[in-house]
Amino acid sequence: MSSKTAKPILHSAAWRISLWATLAFACGTMLVFVFLHGFVANDIQRRSDAWLAGEVEVLGDVAERTPKDALYDRVVGEVAELAGKEVPNKDVSESSSNDSVFFLQTSGGGALQLWVGAGNGEANLRAIRASRIVPDHPTDLDVHGFAVPFRVASIRMDDGSYIYLGLSERDELRVLRSLRLRFVLLWFLLVLFGFGIVFYTTRRMLSHVREITEAASRIGHSDLSARVPTTAQKDEVGNLALTLNHMLDRIENSMHQLHTITDSLAHDLRSPLTAIRGKLEMSLSIGSHGDQAEPIVSVIEELDRLTDFLNKSLDVAEAKADALRLTRSDVDLDELLRIMIDLYEPSMSEKGLRIRLQSAGPLKIEADAALIHRMIANLFDNELKHLPAACTVTLRLTVEDDSSSLIVEDDGPGFDPEVLPHLFERRVKGRESNGHGLGLAFVDAVARAHGGAVAASNRKNGGARLDVILPLFANSAGHVNASRKMTTTSSLQP
Amino acid sequence: MQLLLVEDELDIQSFLKSSLEEAGYQVAAASDGKTAELLAIDGVFDILVVDLGLPDMDGISLILKLRQLGVRAPVLILSARRSVDDRVRGLEQGGDDYLTKPFALAELLARMRNLLKRNSPTGNEATKLRVLDLELDLLRREATRSGQVLQLTSQEFVLLEYLCRNAGRVVTRSMILDKVWGMRIQPDTNVVDVHIYRLRGKVDGKGQQPLIRTLRGVGYVLKDR
Repeated sequence: MSSKTAKPILHSAAWRISLWATLAFACGTMLVFVFLHGFVANDIQRRSDAWLAGEVEVLGDVAERTPKDALYDRVVGEVAELAGKEVPNKDVSESSSNDSVFFLQTSGGGALQLWVGAGNGEANLRAIRASRIVPDHPTDLDVHGFAVPFRVASIRMDDGSYIYLGLSERDELRVLRSLRLRFVLLWFLLVLFGFGIVFYTTRRMLSHVREITEAASRIGHSDLSARVPTTAQKDEVGNLALTLNHMLDRIENSMHQLHTITDSLAHDLRSPLTAIRGKLEMSLSIGSHGDQAEPIVSVIEELDRLTDFLNKSLDVAEAKADALRLTRSDVDLDELLRIMIDLYEPSMSEKGLRIRLQSAGPLKIEADAALIHRMIANLFDNELKHLPAACTVTLRLTVEDDSSSLIVEDDGPGFDPEVLPHLFERRVKGRESNGHGLGLAFVDAVARAHGGAVAASNRKNGGARLDVILPLFANSAGHVNASRKMTTTSSLQP
Repeated sequence: MQLLLVEDELDIQSFLKSSLEEAGYQVAAASDGKTAELLAIDGVFDILVVDLGLPDMDGISLILKLRQLGVRAPVLILSARRSVDDRVRGLEQGGDDYLTKPFALAELLARMRNLLKRNSPTGNEATKLRVLDLELDLLRREATRSGQVLQLTSQEFVLLEYLCRNAGRVVTRSMILDKVWGMRIQPDTNVVDVHIYRLRGKVDGKGQQPLIRTLRGVGYVLKDR
């Protein structure tokens, strides 16, 4: 489970959702600001234009009325300078030199007649001459030597001269710049904050989903009595948990019923079997006459086979329904195989069979020891019963990722191709087989109950091959891996 | 030996009672938990044989109750359930044993003997086992018959040792699998027979009295007479 929490945040759904949501939010607010910025800029321009138009008219008026004597320049110049001090949007801090406003009067011939402002006005005059300035329409004017353009309004006097009043756009641009700066700062904080909120809430919500997933996967393997965690909220996630729990209730119920049925079936059959077997054994010990003993002995042997059949078919039935009850402990497969070989070797060499084990040493898995013992015994029985003389059985035990892999190969005739696709179904057996066809079904059932898988195939150069994969740990993800691996190597599972 | 048999199936109870009596036990039988409790309080028993499925209570609860009442005798549990309950395993660790139905009578008797032996303080463990002219040196892991050393593998020695320890008594295939190989399995092939057959080839030489006898349908016995 720890591997899931350690998963990098960048790959989580919460991260992606918050990233996209934040992107949309950022774009939206940016668009709104662009619109607002345009509106504010327009408004500032409109106001300075209105001021320019008003002032230039006043100056025109003053120039008109002032007699063209020696004092004319001083009077008009002072009025113009006064006007320059009432500039809108003016930055109060820098009042020293007034270079944000200029006043310029040209004579009818276009020569500089009167100049008020910074410098000598030559550059301004050249710029005015270069561009056509229509009276009553304030226009932008780039003047050489000034970084920011001027907004210039003009008026034509009756005597054919022109009065130009220029206002630097510096203050206007400063206002807009500070607006932009503040917005970007605020916008950045807002986006960061929004991302944080979205990420936190989606992560919280999705962590519920993750908890449910983890709990649900645990339930499948260990016990059915556990439930996924529910939340108090009645939202989608809360409903998901409730629905899952309802489903688990129903599954647990039917599983319980299955256990009850198999248990009572087992019980009802076992008691009479016990009584019959006991009585037969007693009669065998009382009157052990040779001719009478033989049929009794064969009946006892038949009973034992019947019991074995009963056990196996109930186990297979339960395992098929994923209801086999496991009591897990550490099982060393390597040691188990060596003991099994020791047990089976005499019978095998009696039949002319050889057996080899390839193993890298102790290999412990968490499994139900009794079931694994019976499973391995079934594999050995299967080889012992079906292989003709002079064959070799090879067992290979390896670890792959978090699963153990046991490969049982022989160089015998292999599986009957007709039977191969149905090998792990109940009562499927080869034509010459005299078993009850439960052996491999049981092997498959036990492997599945442990979250593993079994696959059968025929080797290219003759002989049968069985792959048994068992996860190393009860809760390892080997369950999924093993099943996936199996389906790629062969498609035998019905 | 006083024995308390708790089994609700009368059919099984009656044959168990008679065969246990034949084996030399004095048997008191109860067919439900209540009766068993009363019997256990009144009498002193050396061993108890308890079926898990009783009409009025669970066999495990009965055992726990009897333990509380001060009954110290070992208990052999009979179970018709398929998978062995964890609680039964717990009891098994506490020195008791279990058998699943159907079982061989020989196995029931052998397990009871084991429980009784475990319960009674034994003297120092012998280092040599002797059955007729067969002798096993447990320290040197060496077996001799009439003074002749037998060439046994270590596994064959363990098997012979098990037969010697139960000399004169029947041992079943599943008992051999359990005690010699440590597995409760039921192979549908004759793996145990082949081991016995090989062992017999080494132990019972030509002209010697055969020691290892096969009781078909039951198991094997090492003759001690």
